[in-house]
Amino acid sequence: MVRQNYILRLVSSLWHLAQGLYITMLNFLRPKVTEQYPENRGKHIYFERFRAELIMPHDENNQHRCTACGICQMNCPNGTIRVTSSAPRILDRHLYDIGSCTFCALCTQTCPQRAIEFTNSFEHSTFTKGPLVKQLNRPGSSLKTASE
Amino acid sequence: MTQLEQLRTAGYDFLIDIVGMDWGPDEGLGVIYYLARSYDVADTISVKAVAEGGRENPSLPSVSSLWDVAQVYEREVHDFFGITFSGNPDLRRLFLRGDWVGFPLRKDYDPSVNHVPHTDETFREMDGEGLFAGDKYVVNFGPQHPAMHGVLHLRVSLDGEIVRRVDPHFGYIHRGVEKMCESYTYPQILHLTDRLDYLSGAIDRHGFCLACEQALQTEAPPRAVVVRTIFDELTRIASHLLGWGSMCMDMGAVTAFIYAMRDREKIMDIFEETAGGRLMVNYSVIGGLASDIHPNFQRRVREFIPYMRKMLREHHLLFTGNPIARGRMHGVGKLSLEKAISLGVTGPAGRASGWVNDLREVAPYAAYGQVEFKQKIRTGGETFDRYIIRLEEIESSLHIIEQLIDNIPDGSYAEKTKAVVRLPEGDFFQRVENARGQFGIHITSKGDKTPYRVKFRSPSMVLVGALKQIAPENKVADLIMLGGSLDYVIPCIDR
Amino acid sequence: MNIFLQYILLGVAILVAYAVLALILIYVERKVCGFFQCRIGPNRVGPWGVFQSVADMVKILLKELVHIDKADHVLFRMASFFVIIGSICTFAALPFARGVQAIDFNVGIFYVLAVSSLGVVGILLAGWSSNSKYSMIGAMRSGAQLISYEISSGLSLMTIVVLSGTMQLSEIVEQQSDLWFIFRGHVPACIAFLCYLISGHAETNRGPFDMPEAESELTSGYHTEYSGIQFGFFYLAEYLNMFIVAAVASTMFLGGWQPLHIPGLDGFNAVMDFIPGIVWFLGKTFFCVFLALWIRWTFPRLRIDQLLSLEWKVLMPICLVNLLLMAVVVIW
Repeated sequence: MVRQNYILRLVSSLWHLAQGLYITMLNFLRPKVTEQYPENRGKHIYFERFRAELIMPHDENNQHRCTACGICQMNCPNGTIRVTSSAPRILDRHLYDIGSCTFCALCTQTCPQRAIEFTNSFEHSTFTKGPLVKQLNRPGSSLKTASE
Repeated sequence: MTQLEQLRTAGYDFLIDIVGMDWGPDEGLGVIYYLARSYDVADTISVKAVAEGGRENPSLPSVSSLWDVAQVYEREVHDFFGITFSGNPDLRRLFLRGDWVGFPLRKDYDPSVNHVPHTDETFREMDGEGLFAGDKYVVNFGPQHPAMHGVLHLRVSLDGEIVRRVDPHFGYIHRGVEKMCESYTYPQILHLTDRLDYLSGAIDRHGFCLACEQALQTEAPPRAVVVRTIFDELTRIASHLLGWGSMCMDMGAVTAFIYAMRDREKIMDIFEETAGGRLMVNYSVIGGLASDIHPNFQRRVREFIPYMRKMLREHHLLFTGNPIARGRMHGVGKLSLEKAISLGVTGPAGRASGWVNDLREVAPYAAYGQVEFKQKIRTGGETFDRYIIRLEEIESSLHIIEQLIDNIPDGSYAEKTKAVVRLPEGDFFQRVENARGQFGIHITSKGDKTPYRVKFRSPSMVLVGALKQIAPENKVADLIMLGGSLDYVIPCIDR
Repeated sequence: MNIFLQYILLGVAILVAYAVLALILIYVERKVCGFFQCRIGPNRVGPWGVFQSVADMVKILLKELVHIDKADHVLFRMASFFVIIGSICTFAALPFARGVQAIDFNVGIFYVLAVSSLGVVGILLAGWSSNSKYSMIGAMRSGAQLISYEISSGLSLMTIVVLSGTMQLSEIVEQQSDLWFIFRGHVPACIAFLCYLISGHAETNRGPFDMPEAESELTSGYHTEYSGIQFGFFYLAEYLNMFIVAAVASTMFLGGWQPLHIPGLDGFNAVMDFIPGIVWFLGKTFFCVFLALWIRWTFPRLRIDQLLSLEWKVLMPICLVNLLLMAVVVIW
């Protein structure tokens, strides 16, 4: 009885081990899933909604929709955004520190003008911290007027 | 105390959480106990206790003799509020260093009194050095260790290969989330809930939204409810896959881990396409969803279900039947039902011990009431039960998604909320079933735009407590495997 | 003088072959492992990443030798040499092709078994001297493991010695010119082959028998505290030991450098003879290496008690019975 069990267990063990080997061999022969990053630039599709960087869209006249109301700055939990304005509705600088951004999207969700949005360009690595602070409004840009 | 004793004898044998409170100078310090019955976890009751002795020497009687889990909860309250629990056998600080001045979650705490070292300083003896007096071979597992699933530190006393005693040490990555919450508005807190248990972030966030909605007495539109449920289940599958993979890796099968990551990647892609985030999904907001689902969402999920079923079969062939794995898991780390309840071990680990505690079935929230769902229960309580129940739950999650994915109602995806969310005055408590167990959110509001106190019940903290119970008298290799089978996530403990 | 020069040349040749083979094996392991895991494996340094292990070697040579406080320094430095010397000595005895064999004792197989177990001394010393608790546990496991598995690997090789009647490696290979031992030895030879693969695998401390390293519990076991080229020695020895086990398996069971001959098919045999012996030898050896990798990347690690019961309750009885069976076969 005991001897029979011993043989039986040995055989069933070998059978299960063989099943495992079969699975790994199956995967050995399957196409590989690795994404080869720098090579697949341009070929690989990045999802549109992926939150990677905050931007302020400008139109062809170098105009944006930001009224410098500061709601994004107020809503940001991490002090990522700093809005400065010298006069009401005139934006001087919209500074965005990507180094402290957690991509919670509260700024874009609460912006009354839909002036800022997230894009999926994710290549942010720099050698120093300095370039991580970005000015979102372009130099010389102005507020889009209502008529346009 | 007598009231709690009566409740305990009346069948409230599951201590969900102890929330430390500082009600201000008038009312003083105290705690709120949340209790439930183990055979009906939906039936909860809360008990408020004010500490005696004022702010100088606040003290309360310990309830650790009634519920084992109270031991660690009381240490946490002691750490943050300085309440002494008389009768608690091991009242050390839980997260902070022993020489920390003050109690950070008190309202009158002054952060400037603590000197935070910025350079290397002299080595200081750890607290509780006496715990291991007489043990000759004490090994540190962690805080940096390949199998610690984060930054947990286990001090283990060994006798050859046999583990004699385990003492977990938390707090290496404590971020003070609960303190931060007190200065954040409710929408801002949402970005922190994703970062507690990062593997079931979507579920935790869902829970916080539910707590706020419950307080505001609004409801998310049906479309949002269904999509949230699908997201929760996808998150659960992703988390269980990772749990399965890392348990296999803890047992030395690295290949299984990579396969799990490969399958999890499909879910991450679905999340990324619809919600814009992979791990930090950031999808639920108070009153609904952040955005509508992507047009591809339903197609992708429908494609994912048969793929995952096929891969599950392969995972079973690869690892479940393996005689080495079976031999290692068999008869190791038995957690009895009584112990599981007393330790508050919810989630898959508790269900593997035979405890019917799945909130999705017992107290359905979101769309769980609309679907056919039966929670998986096993009675063994051994490592193999905890292993296999995860794979079974993946299967049942797929079944839930299958029922919902074709029936997403039309309509708006979010209820309009006010620009500034103010919760009405009061205490609110909400539980959700995340991938590791019951995740609880306690909010005390004074009617401001920021909460007065927020407390999260971490299912992982309880799981480490269970590890402390079941690891002794097993081998070193088993200690790591048991950690894998309990599948705790450290950032959820170090909130 | 002449003979002295000859020795030096021979020594250099063996060391170079050793190092080059180790680099190839490390590359092969990483690539095969990648393929088993649905990955590509190294592919950045050179075409298909073939120079990856060369780059790693350069890195390891440039790394600092970390000074361990309170370690037993003499033993600590010595340990890695024990491991690598044991493995080089075994390597030297392998018959690569007809006549390409540095040492050809008449007790060749006995020598291989004896020298290869020198490594365990190094591992024990490494674990003991590094003054680290992880290393200590790893070394103790390793001691228990190697001593146990030596028995069944020896017994399974003895099965072939019974069949061939000699211990000289070159003679054993010569005898297989008609038909390899795994075919000629009937069932006992097949069982012995399997047993040798398992126990040889365990002797080289590779997964699923890598308890001495056990990266998930002991970080990396006995060589946790080593760095730079000293770690490199352990690393080289580990890979070469895998090669040596595969090479001994192919020598003893699969005919070594002998081509595949089937008695009666003269045309086929003549075609096979055109392939040089070294190709046959390396081909068979790498086949065995591939088997070892396949097993390593499929199975979870055993626990120490499982490991010992596998040896003492399963492998050793089977090997003993198998040896008897082979004796019976040979007598008839």
